[in-house]
Amino acid sequence: MFIDAMGLIFGDNKKITLGELSRPRALSAIPFGGRYRIIDYMLSNMVNSGIKNVGILTYNKYKSLMDHVGTGASWDLDRKNFGLHILPPYVNSEATSIEGDEEMAGLLDFIRSSRSAYVIIANSNVILNTTFNEFVEDHKESGADISVMYNRDGTKYGSPNYILEVDRKGMVKDMLFNPEKSSSSRSSLGIITMRRELLIDLIAEMMARGSGHMGIHSFVKMYDTLKVHAYEYKGLILRINSVQTYFNSSMLLLDNQVRADLFWNGMPIYTKVKDEAPTLYSDSCHVSNSIISDGCRIAGSVEDSMLFRGVAVSKNCDIKNCVIMQDVHISENCHLENVILDKNSVIRPGIKLVGHKDYPVVIGKGAIV
Amino acid sequence: MAKADVVAMILAGGQGSRLGVLTKNIAKPAVPFGSRYRIIDFPLSNCANSGIETVGVLSQYQPLALNTYVGNGHPWDLDRNNGGAFILPPYQRSGRSDWYKGTANAIFQNRDFIDDCDPKYVLILSGDHIYKMNYAEMLRTHIETQADATLAVLEVPWAEASRFGILNTKDDDVITEFVEKPAKPESNLASMGVYVFTWSVLRKALIEDDENEKSNNDFGKNIVPMLLNQGKKLCAYRFSGYWKDVGTISSLWEANMDILDRPHEINLMDRSWRVYSRNPVKPSHFIGEGGIVSESAMTDGCQIYGTVKHSVLSNSVTIEKGAVVKDCVLLPGVTVRSGAHLDRCIVGFGTIIGEGVQAGANVTGSSPYLNTKICTDGIVVIERGLKIRDHAVIPANSQVDRDVVVSEEDNVIDEVFRV
Repeated sequence: MFIDAMGLIFGDNKKITLGELSRPRALSAIPFGGRYRIIDYMLSNMVNSGIKNVGILTYNKYKSLMDHVGTGASWDLDRKNFGLHILPPYVNSEATSIEGDEEMAGLLDFIRSSRSAYVIIANSNVILNTTFNEFVEDHKESGADISVMYNRDGTKYGSPNYILEVDRKGMVKDMLFNPEKSSSSRSSLGIITMRRELLIDLIAEMMARGSGHMGIHSFVKMYDTLKVHAYEYKGLILRINSVQTYFNSSMLLLDNQVRADLFWNGMPIYTKVKDEAPTLYSDSCHVSNSIISDGCRIAGSVEDSMLFRGVAVSKNCDIKNCVIMQDVHISENCHLENVILDKNSVIRPGIKLVGHKDYPVVIGKGAIV
Repeated sequence: MAKADVVAMILAGGQGSRLGVLTKNIAKPAVPFGSRYRIIDFPLSNCANSGIETVGVLSQYQPLALNTYVGNGHPWDLDRNNGGAFILPPYQRSGRSDWYKGTANAIFQNRDFIDDCDPKYVLILSGDHIYKMNYAEMLRTHIETQADATLAVLEVPWAEASRFGILNTKDDDVITEFVEKPAKPESNLASMGVYVFTWSVLRKALIEDDENEKSNNDFGKNIVPMLLNQGKKLCAYRFSGYWKDVGTISSLWEANMDILDRPHEINLMDRSWRVYSRNPVKPSHFIGEGGIVSESAMTDGCQIYGTVKHSVLSNSVTIEKGAVVKDCVLLPGVTVRSGAHLDRCIVGFGTIIGEGVQAGANVTGSSPYLNTKICTDGIVVIERGLKIRDHAVIPANSQVDRDVVVSEEDNVIDEVFRV
């Protein structure tokens, strides 16, 4: 319940692009899981841990992220003290800019203004529902300078992947980036914790040395000079590294156990409230094994799919294995299979789109097909 | 308090005894409606959408759920620095203390609240009607006609006029008479319980009404006739569109079914006039393999593995495989176990319907739970927080109430829990 920590989330990831899906928005603003966006999971994890001060680092395309999180009210982060802060690049025209410096300068001020003892820093390409209290406690006991969360996913999710080699005391002794094969299956989750003071020192030093880009794994990489402890997370992890893993992770949510682990473990996932109407099912519809969000109107057939809020599926449509985002309109007599439809796209009558399970068709935001 | 041109007062203190066990623990305006909403969402959203930002909610009967639901008014954008939503319960004062004796008395007791806002106009609303209305237009009419009071009216079918409070009018919709449930109606203009008053006029009338010991302190029965007697100008404002009083079990059930059968009339999908509600924070709903859903409405957190036909499901309802739900209204958190068959049932918060239970309109037989005073049209109402015994049979027009004393043999309740 009580945790003496602040949170930092990298709202985007320069190593990950999801094609059409990440073209208009940062990685963390990509819709995922019916009524959520990727950021909702990590923000909720932090809030459910008792964290009351969260910064979201962004570098570009952060409009939809800002629209989504707003004042942070949906996560109870609209606070007089601390609360939610979006940290766009700190552009200072007077300074001689070194690449990456802008990010860090703004960040440093934010971290200095906090009073928490610890900081939890997370990437936004993993989906999980947890609290970080145990992680921080374990970190304190380990006597390490930094702790990093991992699970045993090994190399199965592909790039970007950081494999950790760990000694008998649980300390990281090596880290491999995208190894094809590895003796270790410990794959970093991109979630670390350390003392806030240490983070300030490390960033200040990075800036002094002009060492450019800062990321979670640039801290983990310091295992030569600092004690970096590895912490195994045993719960459900969904990773989003690519369109394929995005699609697979979405489809995994159709599994009852996966949904139970992610949504029904007693800790709510918060998101921006849209005040959509309830979903209306017509007498001609057929829906099976699908996640459906509010505000949809369904008259056709939907199987093994995920519908976000406000989707219209007209009569005689046949939707199978699709991820259909907010406010998409699918006209009559369409057949869609293995398709990801981004927000606001419109499918005209009689269109047939069939992708492959391992290579779904992606229709960009607002497209008219 | 900041000055407001108009203040809305929502009468939300009544018990709603005709809703039986549904309002045993919560006030009628807090009763869930239409899958995602509570009844009070409609007047609150109408206020927000009409640009009225100072809203008093008068609560008295079982206020806990209502007060926590309305809270600071945030879901309706009523968490304002100037104005906002205010819960107004009756309170103790140095001279005398009173419960709200009637609708007019509730406003009378809160005249200081209204005076502090110093409005020109006061809008009086009830917390038990389902409709979407632009109060700003009504207010404009009120100002243009220079009326002392304006009453929203709905043209009802002549055959039904005797069930309503009817307003007789002359030219220009100026009201001449108010008749409660007339046997031989002279007009078909039914009062909707939506009033705009010029505050100075109403304020004076409330004080006079309070001095009259014989008065029931009611707007329809006392205030409106009194103003007419005094020769004040009362005008009718014609509203057309969906409007329903959900004061009885059958009308509540019907209004829920209207969402399915007449979706364009109440038009919940209209994004220019959204109905806001407090969000339950649940994941999107899920229709399992083999689940069958048709002609139904549902929302977040539902998990459907059985059959749902022509029903309205609130959040977090679970329908197990082999269960059949038809023409039902299931409130948040209800579970229907496998093999159960529900037809025209309204089931309260969190109740678990045991395996193989048969309940509803097509079930015949006698039962100590029969209650035709509350339940009509074959509708069965089941109280919140119960576990209904496996294979129990509950015939049409029954109300399953934990406080009804029945023999062990007739008992359909396994367990009672807090939800």
